Amino acid sequence: MADSVTLRNTVAYAVEEAAAASDGAPATIHFVVFESARAVDPTGPADLGDDHELLDRVSVWADEDRAGQEASVEVELAVVGADRYLFSPDQYADALADYAAAHDVDRVVLDPEYDPGSGAPMLWPLATELQRRDLDVEEAPVERPRRQTVLGRTGTARKYVAIFGASFLFYQALGAWTTFDLVTGGLTAGLVAALLAPIVFGHQPSLTHLAVQTVRMAVYAPYLLWEIAKANLQIAYVVLHPSLPIDPEMVEFDAAVWGDTPVTTLANSITLTPGTLTVDVTEQSFVVHSLTEATRDGLFEGSLERAVRFVFWGRAAARIPSPRERGEEGDDG
Amino acid sequence: MAISEYAAVALVAGGAFFGLVAAVGLVRLPDVYTRTHAASKSDTLGAVLALGGVALVIDAQLATVKAVFLLLFMFLTNPTAAHAIARAARDQGIEPWTTDDADAGGEP
Repeated sequence: MADSVTLRNTVAYAVEEAAAASDGAPATIHFVVFESARAVDPTGPADLGDDHELLDRVSVWADEDRAGQEASVEVELAVVGADRYLFSPDQYADALADYAAAHDVDRVVLDPEYDPGSGAPMLWPLATELQRRDLDVEEAPVERPRRQTVLGRTGTARKYVAIFGASFLFYQALGAWTTFDLVTGGLTAGLVAALLAPIVFGHQPSLTHLAVQTVRMAVYAPYLLWEIAKANLQIAYVVLHPSLPIDPEMVEFDAAVWGDTPVTTLANSITLTPGTLTVDVTEQSFVVHSLTEATRDGLFEGSLERAVRFVFWGRAAARIPSPRERGEEGDDG
Repeated sequence: MAISEYAAVALVAGGAFFGLVAAVGLVRLPDVYTRTHAASKSDTLGAVLALGGVALVIDAQLATVKAVFLLLFMFLTNPTAAHAIARAARDQGIEPWTTDDADAGGEP
């Protein structure tokens, strides 16, 4: 696999399949990338930096998906082909087959958007070559991206129950627990669940997972409040200062958060922290308008980003370097 | 006065202060983006502080819960609205004001 639009869903599919195939015994998934730098420059040295960054991201995703599974699934990460120059589909297939033999892997899942040849379509020949080497090959049956993102995902019983419960409790919190409120609340919650259950959750909600996130969110909220209060005072100072010391600028950076809800949380947190205003977000690329030099610095320190990663993926993910360390600083053109 | 009432007065006063900052910022700042900063954030904190004060003094349990809900929704909707305004401005191709504009004689 390599970085692609369908990679996230392919990882989810692989984890699900591994959990389904495990039958109690722990199953192991190997996420494998081909060394990529030499596909561009055959004579250059093998540069594993990008590949390891990709694998780190995949491992965070896999952890997220594993949290929702009962069966135990082991995850291994690997880069293959660093020791040789790969050119044709059968060379790629050889490299992968060697890896599969060495690690006792019998089934290969390919990301449908994966394309090893730089530019030339090579996925189909690769799959054929892999089959010839007695491997069970399939493309992950994931949705290709469309021009308009699909809102409708499949609704499951658990999603309906979660949405129904949440809206019913909310209704009762505003109501008074009378018979009338219970009945109308039930109707309303039913309607909300029917309409929204397929949309709200990206993947299966599980109680433990939600509880953990709620606790982390409860840790995050006071921190965010404190940041808001502190920064508001700074803005009050700037606005009330006679000479209006502002130096506004549009900046762009790629945030290291993934998925709809985390990105939305980060975007809104950035807007709430005064001096920074999220103007546009595409995938992970943020366009942020900042009021003063100091607020820009704060943004690139990445403490907010870190906190959001902590809420959704725990402490390990919080240790990913800040935008400044990643060299994401950039002015908008 | 009970302690909670003092706290409520302090909160509401803080809310009024940040509301004032938002209004002053709206007038003084130079362009749509910077004004959105003032209008969205000082305003959010102002409203949230005032609501917090309300939640403290209202005795009725239910009204307190409602005030807290209002507070939460404030945090969700205000940044979203600010984002919508800023994004619309960007889509319209409005160039953000910079200090260069001030040197060129533009209004500060």
